[in-house]
Amino acid sequence: MQHRKIALLLSVIPGLGQMYNKQWIKGLLFLVFGVSFIAVFADLLNMGFWGLFTLGTEVPRDNSIFLLAEGIIAIIVTCFGLAFYYLNLRDAYKNGKSRDNNQPLNTLRAEYQNLISQGYPYVVSGPSLFILIFAVIFPILFSFALAFTNYDLYHSPPANLADWVGLKTFQDIFTVDIWRSTFFDVLGWTVVWTIVASTLQVSLGIFLAVLVNQKDTRFKKFFRTVLVLPWAVPGFVTILIFAGLFNDSFGAINLDILAMFGIDPIPWLTDENWTRVALILMQGWLGFPYIFIVTTGVLQSIPEDLYEAATIDGASILAKFKNITLPMILIAMAPIIITQFTFNFNNFNIIYLFNGGGPAVPGSTAGGTDILVSWIYKLTMQSSQYSLAAALTILLSVFVIAIALWQFRRTNSFKEGA
Amino acid sequence: MKMYKKYLGIMSGIALSLSLVACGPQDDGKESGDTGKEEKPKELVVWEDILKGEGIKDAIAAFEKEHDVKVTMVEKQYTKQIEDLRLDGPAGTGPDVLTMPSDQTGTAVTEGLIKELNVDDATQGIYTEAAMAAQKVDGKVYGLPKAVETTMLYYNKDLISEAELPTSLEGWYEYSKGVADGKKFGFLALFDQIYYANSVLSAYGGYIFAQDENGNYDPSDIGLNNAGAVEGAQYIQKFYKEGLFPSGIIGEQGISVIESLFTEGKATAIISGPWNVEPFTKAGVNFGVQKLPELSNGKNMTAFIGVKSYNVSSYSKNPELAEEFVKFIANEENSKKRYEITQEVPAVAALASDPVVTESEAAKAVAEQSNFSVLMPNIPQMNEVWTPTDSALQTIATGKAEPKAALDQAVKTISGQIEAKHK
Repeated sequence: MQHRKIALLLSVIPGLGQMYNKQWIKGLLFLVFGVSFIAVFADLLNMGFWGLFTLGTEVPRDNSIFLLAEGIIAIIVTCFGLAFYYLNLRDAYKNGKSRDNNQPLNTLRAEYQNLISQGYPYVVSGPSLFILIFAVIFPILFSFALAFTNYDLYHSPPANLADWVGLKTFQDIFTVDIWRSTFFDVLGWTVVWTIVASTLQVSLGIFLAVLVNQKDTRFKKFFRTVLVLPWAVPGFVTILIFAGLFNDSFGAINLDILAMFGIDPIPWLTDENWTRVALILMQGWLGFPYIFIVTTGVLQSIPEDLYEAATIDGASILAKFKNITLPMILIAMAPIIITQFTFNFNNFNIIYLFNGGGPAVPGSTAGGTDILVSWIYKLTMQSSQYSLAAALTILLSVFVIAIALWQFRRTNSFKEGA
Repeated sequence: MKMYKKYLGIMSGIALSLSLVACGPQDDGKESGDTGKEEKPKELVVWEDILKGEGIKDAIAAFEKEHDVKVTMVEKQYTKQIEDLRLDGPAGTGPDVLTMPSDQTGTAVTEGLIKELNVDDATQGIYTEAAMAAQKVDGKVYGLPKAVETTMLYYNKDLISEAELPTSLEGWYEYSKGVADGKKFGFLALFDQIYYANSVLSAYGGYIFAQDENGNYDPSDIGLNNAGAVEGAQYIQKFYKEGLFPSGIIGEQGISVIESLFTEGKATAIISGPWNVEPFTKAGVNFGVQKLPELSNGKNMTAFIGVKSYNVSSYSKNPELAEEFVKFIANEENSKKRYEITQEVPAVAALASDPVVTESEAAKAVAEQSNFSVLMPNIPQMNEVWTPTDSALQTIATGKAEPKAALDQAVKTISGQIEAKHK
């Protein structure tokens, strides 16, 4: 039998294969690591996997939700364990192969040097990856898993157990009348909101930046300072103040500004379409300064000779903007613009603080300006529909990820770095 | 290389299956329990409402002395305690005794968060009937009442003298007609919210859930669109239609707008709860309070009666002692003491006529209004009522929908939600 096979077989118990290869210290390390892994995590893995499959069998002893969390941690730990196990097997096999080929084996010291020099990026990023897994991957897996359970008010610990129901919650979203109609209403408005509000803030920011950056504009610093001011005030404060200004019967917008022009008061907060208009205007106000600043930066980096050449060719101002300025800005800012879209898709603050997702619409469980996130928030906080909220969150992420991917692929900004 | 992959596959398989053998908790669910009685010094954790701890300090000291225990009191907003209990309970850091609004009782019982209490009839008898009914789910008692609150009428004494006060809502309607000019208003209320609008709807014969003779609710029988409710809603709509209620008090901001109108002296009277006595006093408003006015059908406007209660957590390690504490803290003597400090109207029937209560105008108004009150249903299905009904009332207030159509729609939504979520 070849050394590599024997070493591999012996490595079923971590470390034995290395010992067979006469790498004693390494073998011992693997063995100690393997044994302590089992010793430390045996309980967790046992309870975790059992809990993950059954979600508890007995009240009040078992808490389905804790078992689910434990189960997901068990899976993550198992993945680490398997990775370690794979390393162990591969190491034994490789060194066995070297022996078969009569090559000398590396010393421990040489292997350490190898690890440090070749795997340096991985060694350095290892700890943060580890934290990332628990801070980011774990919650995602948890809410993902929740969507496939029936966790709601009637399946809550400690009195009741939750159970796996597969795709039933998703099915409900599309089959139960009251949810289906609401879902599509909300989704429709979310998409409109994202596109209109983001486009407004981006184009306003770019427009103003280009305007202020014109050669003959005087008091540039003054204009820049003034235009950045909306950004200097915390967003939620602005939103709350605007909510007061927009009040139908007492707000300054209706009473003073519109009245000055002889326009009748507009039902900003009680008519859903006007609320939508108000929201989009506010988001334009809140969002443009950032784009303005970034665009101003980009504009400095556009070489002057491009414009000079264009001027000699007799290009109009508009042509220069269309063919030089805009393409340069868009290439540099595409990632930022995309994040504006994804940000607005989930812009909970403005929707919730301005009018609580209202005004009410007859026959819908969501308000007239509720976007998906704020609707999910209401479902979770007001009616304990945890699994439904989790399922909607998945649908929402699918949507955001799809749009973001599509946009990222269409822009040039990311191609060069890849 | 292929061989190696194959071996690897087999081995990972073995490893995985090994880890799955003998899964599950090995003990058979037998809790070790407290076997050592009276050995370790016992401890109780009590969650009291925020800023209300002062009111039970003396009672806690007395209880500690009598039972030789240590009672730790933590102040927490009482509407949020159930939420915290969900996590703190299983983690072992939860309370033994907590306080919450009784309309959450049904939800808490469904989730199994609070324990049934063993309260004899004599003890139950000292509380007002409504307050005690709020503690019961399926005839079982889950808590003892701590305080009651109802909405009442606040009026500005600088704008109207006590003698001129209309006694009926119709009277207020006439009064408002004379005063309201778009900047100043007479009588205002948040009738776009069922919490306030129910005062009118239920006095005309509407109801949220029907009740059987034992007080159990039937969530399939919703009376928010019956003839009485529609009549009430039509009456409400009149106030908005004729500009007596500005559209600026509709919706989310309504509550802050109406309160600032009252403090600025731009509204003569508003409907609000006892929680506003302190802010209005601080704002320097010269105000009085009264029970709600009568309706044209001769009935008094009703109010939701909100009961705050003391409950025992089902995660408590000393449930008997915790139950003892609840009974002690909610007894007549401690209720009175608590009232004197916190000014929350107690639910003990005998105290309603006690001079300490009748002396205070606000407490008297609440006590009087309690006679014309409906209990907020405490079943979990109630969660589905708020949003659709508020939406309907809002569309009625803005004139976008006719009362009958809007309420029909709301009831349809509510029963749809109940069917979908409360199987």
